[in-house]
Amino acid sequence: MSQPLKSATVESDSLYSIRGLTKIYGEGPTAVSALRGVDLDLPKSAMVVLLGASGSGKSTFLNIIGGLDEATAGTVMFEDQELTALGPSALTEYRRNAVSFVFQFYNLVASLTARENVALITEIAEDPMTPEEALSMVGLEGRIDHFPSQLSGGEQQRVAIARAIAKRPKVMLCDEPTGALDSQTGVRVLEALDQVNRELGTTTLLITHNVVIADMADRLLRFADGALVEDRDNPKRVAPAALKW
Amino acid sequence: MVNLPAWLGSLDRKLFRDIWRLRSQALAIALVIAAGIGMVVMSFGMMRSLEASRDTYYDRYRFADIFASAVRVPDSLLDDIRAIDGVSIVEGRLTSGATLDIPGISEPITARIHSLPASGMPAVNALVLRSGRLPDPGRPDEVLASEKFAEAARIGLGDDIDGLLYGKRQQFRIVGTVLSPEYVYAIGPGQIFPDNRRFGVLWMGQEHLSAALNSTNSFNEALIRLERGGNLQDVIDRVDVILERYGGRGASPREDQLSDRFLENELTQLSSMTAILPPIFLGVAAFLINMVLSRLVESEREIIGLLTAFGYRSRTIMFHYAKLALVLSIPGLALGLLLGSWMGRGLAGLYQDFFVFPFLTYRAGFDVFFISCLVAILVVLLGAAQTVRRIGKLTAAEAMRPPVPPNYSGGFARFVGRIKGLDEPTRIILRGVARRPLRSMLGSVGIAAALGLYITSAGSTDNVRMMIDLMFNQANRADVNVVFTEDRDDRALFELARLPGVMRVEPVRYVGAKLSAGHRSKSETITGMKPAGDLNRLIDLDNGIVEPPIQGLMISYGLSKELAVGPGDMVDIQVTDGRRPQISMPVTSILSSPVSNPAYVDFKNLGPIMREAELSSGAYLSIDATQTDKLYRRLKDMPMIAGFSQRSAALRGIEETIGETMGIVRLFNVAFSGLIVFGVVYNNARISLAERARDLVSLRVLGYRRSEVSYILLGELALIVMVGLPLGMIFGYYLSLQISEAVSGDLFIIPFALSAATVAFAILIVLITAALSALFVRGRLDRLNLVSVLKTRE
Repeated sequence: MSQPLKSATVESDSLYSIRGLTKIYGEGPTAVSALRGVDLDLPKSAMVVLLGASGSGKSTFLNIIGGLDEATAGTVMFEDQELTALGPSALTEYRRNAVSFVFQFYNLVASLTARENVALITEIAEDPMTPEEALSMVGLEGRIDHFPSQLSGGEQQRVAIARAIAKRPKVMLCDEPTGALDSQTGVRVLEALDQVNRELGTTTLLITHNVVIADMADRLLRFADGALVEDRDNPKRVAPAALKW
Repeated sequence: MVNLPAWLGSLDRKLFRDIWRLRSQALAIALVIAAGIGMVVMSFGMMRSLEASRDTYYDRYRFADIFASAVRVPDSLLDDIRAIDGVSIVEGRLTSGATLDIPGISEPITARIHSLPASGMPAVNALVLRSGRLPDPGRPDEVLASEKFAEAARIGLGDDIDGLLYGKRQQFRIVGTVLSPEYVYAIGPGQIFPDNRRFGVLWMGQEHLSAALNSTNSFNEALIRLERGGNLQDVIDRVDVILERYGGRGASPREDQLSDRFLENELTQLSSMTAILPPIFLGVAAFLINMVLSRLVESEREIIGLLTAFGYRSRTIMFHYAKLALVLSIPGLALGLLLGSWMGRGLAGLYQDFFVFPFLTYRAGFDVFFISCLVAILVVLLGAAQTVRRIGKLTAAEAMRPPVPPNYSGGFARFVGRIKGLDEPTRIILRGVARRPLRSMLGSVGIAAALGLYITSAGSTDNVRMMIDLMFNQANRADVNVVFTEDRDDRALFELARLPGVMRVEPVRYVGAKLSAGHRSKSETITGMKPAGDLNRLIDLDNGIVEPPIQGLMISYGLSKELAVGPGDMVDIQVTDGRRPQISMPVTSILSSPVSNPAYVDFKNLGPIMREAELSSGAYLSIDATQTDKLYRRLKDMPMIAGFSQRSAALRGIEETIGETMGIVRLFNVAFSGLIVFGVVYNNARISLAERARDLVSLRVLGYRRSEVSYILLGELALIVMVGLPLGMIFGYYLSLQISEAVSGDLFIIPFALSAATVAFAILIVLITAALSALFVRGRLDRLNLVSVLKTRE
């Protein structure tokens, strides 16, 4: 592995530095504030869980720092780069090189096998793992040549995780990765995310509705009505296998 | 969003909003339907307008049923002809060739002069007086001129023109312009396209023409109208018997009359076009509707399930989607009817350049509109049928469940997986195309149809060009063709050879004859040609340059069909000129050429056959271009010369006449083929985009650049287009071949001369249209919302 192994403690050098992040949809009387001036620093290698009701702003937050959406006001610094000042093609490069996503509905390409779905990323990344390596990290070495239609939901999500880690991203953004899965399968997916975070030191932000999952994180952020209402460290990270819901 | 009236039911509101949402695809479909329906309305209506105009014209102006020409027949014989059972009217007239000399036109003008009866207006082949008046019987110089000729040669009423008639200089004064049912398609000797500047028709009083021709109290052409139910063949046979002693050249029916034959030929071409082209457009339209509707239903499964769950009958829901398809077709239908009428009117205008009617108005008629609408509705329902049937089978629970995830684990997908060195986007393209082979194939077939269509219609231009090339560059290479007033011996040729600028003289002889084999017979001209000629050559489409037969008769493909004879068969020849010898000759070869005369023999064999010395009817000259004017002045003054024509002028005339028409036709072809390509590519792209949006956005989120994502979408289209190209080339080739065979009649063989340049240009058009359509869709791809797709389930 080319990346150094890191302990899962909160470090002072921050990966993201966010100030006054605001997102307003629409204009005039119909305008909706999705984010109302969020300030936050996120350190490298942390496992962060984002909680909040629907419409609390957590997804909007994730989309903006993932370079999928533009902020209305405020700044997001990623290392020494101001994301909020980048144009569409620079954001594409940012997504291409620094960030990975895992979605609730996997978003695999149905016409590609597990290996080929991962290869989609390794083909365009600068220093990727092989698809086989990535898939074996999530325990799918035996399903490498299966198409999505031949895989279970949990397996499909693990392919999505393998696809996310294959390029050795600095950040992994997961939006409800277990939302469509039963608890047993969900735990397997979380184990994969936990393993990647521990072994590769990938900063991981994980949105969930499931409070229990917060126990596997270093830090918990709770959003309500577009604002950050709770931000606390979790000194005792619990292994995903021990989570019950 | 459009505001809809309150009384509209919910489903109908949905219908209109769906259409508004699908508007750009609906437009593409509408344009293809419009093109198909437009073509039906245009060509069907045009065909009927032409037929109706012709029938009315022929009937009202008493166009002859039978034409019988002879050398010189006493007027008294007209009574004998009139007495034949079945004859309604008969009129004798004198007809002669002439050359005219018009100030401002240096090249010779060939004219035909017909006599007018003492009453002024012919009883058969009556004239339409367009301006001026009939000639005054007391004024020998007054003539009527064909209107198009007067226009083209810029001669007006009261103008005097000089001419050479029967070897005598003569002055003609134009007192009126006319149209004649005989000259709907007015072509001079040896022409295939009307050239109104170089061929004109004049009519003058019988008395004065007979004086000029030394033919008083006689006629050389009888025009016969039959009674209703009169027996055509019977009358022809009897007329032949009557005229035999007077140099009768064999009476022929109206269908052999040149103008009528060209008109009939045009109608045949029009009807074969009507039968071939619109079905292609309508087929493509049905396919597009099927594609759009099935995609719509796919994306509305949940809504369909919901409606079923609410208690809507499946019949109601099916009807809703069928109605959607129908409403989708209304703009196309309306546009097609308008477009068709507009193009029909334009086409009627173009026809006026070639076919001259006193009245040719394009009128499609209610039934054409009605049938077109019916056809369009059927096509739309056909396109919708499969999808609508599928809706009927969908149960509520089934519809509410998301569709089974597409399964790509088939053999081809595996095969694609094993190809080494393929990048993943390319695998996505290949598997995407292979997963819906029928749709992909139909897409390619649509492209092929567009390409084939263009190749076919542009190919017909190639055929015409080849015909012109064959005629003017390969067969007839003489600078000047000279026709004598009557057959002449060698001295005439020497005289020509001595004229200024004449470098080479080759004689030709024409002999009128009735050729028969078994019960079939045909009055034609036999051409006597010298072997190894350089100025006039026989060109066979299969064998290139061929020589006239040393022995026997070479006949044209058309005549061989009419007489049902082939090489080795004997043909009975009743010569209708000179001593009217009767002989039998074997057919030694068949000439397959788009520009041939009906029959050829070796020039030197004609003398013995005719039982006279070697005579010539005319000659081909090659000349020194610097002496042209001098030579023309001399030729125009030579009494033995009935007329002469200049190759370069004739060629220029043809190019002027058909150049503009070809340009317009080409423009239409480009527009129509472009429409199909646009319809197919744009709809394919939009649907791929809808189906792929999720994958493509996922890739964008994962860091794929726009260009890389476009590759997947546009690559699939490119593949469909690429598969369509060779198919289209094959289709176009065979369709052109089919059409050129279908329209090759007895009049001429249409050569098949599809050029590589035409095919290349057709491919270019398809590629450019495809690229533009793709570019449209690519714009949408760039605007896709990255966030929205991720939260939704497929």
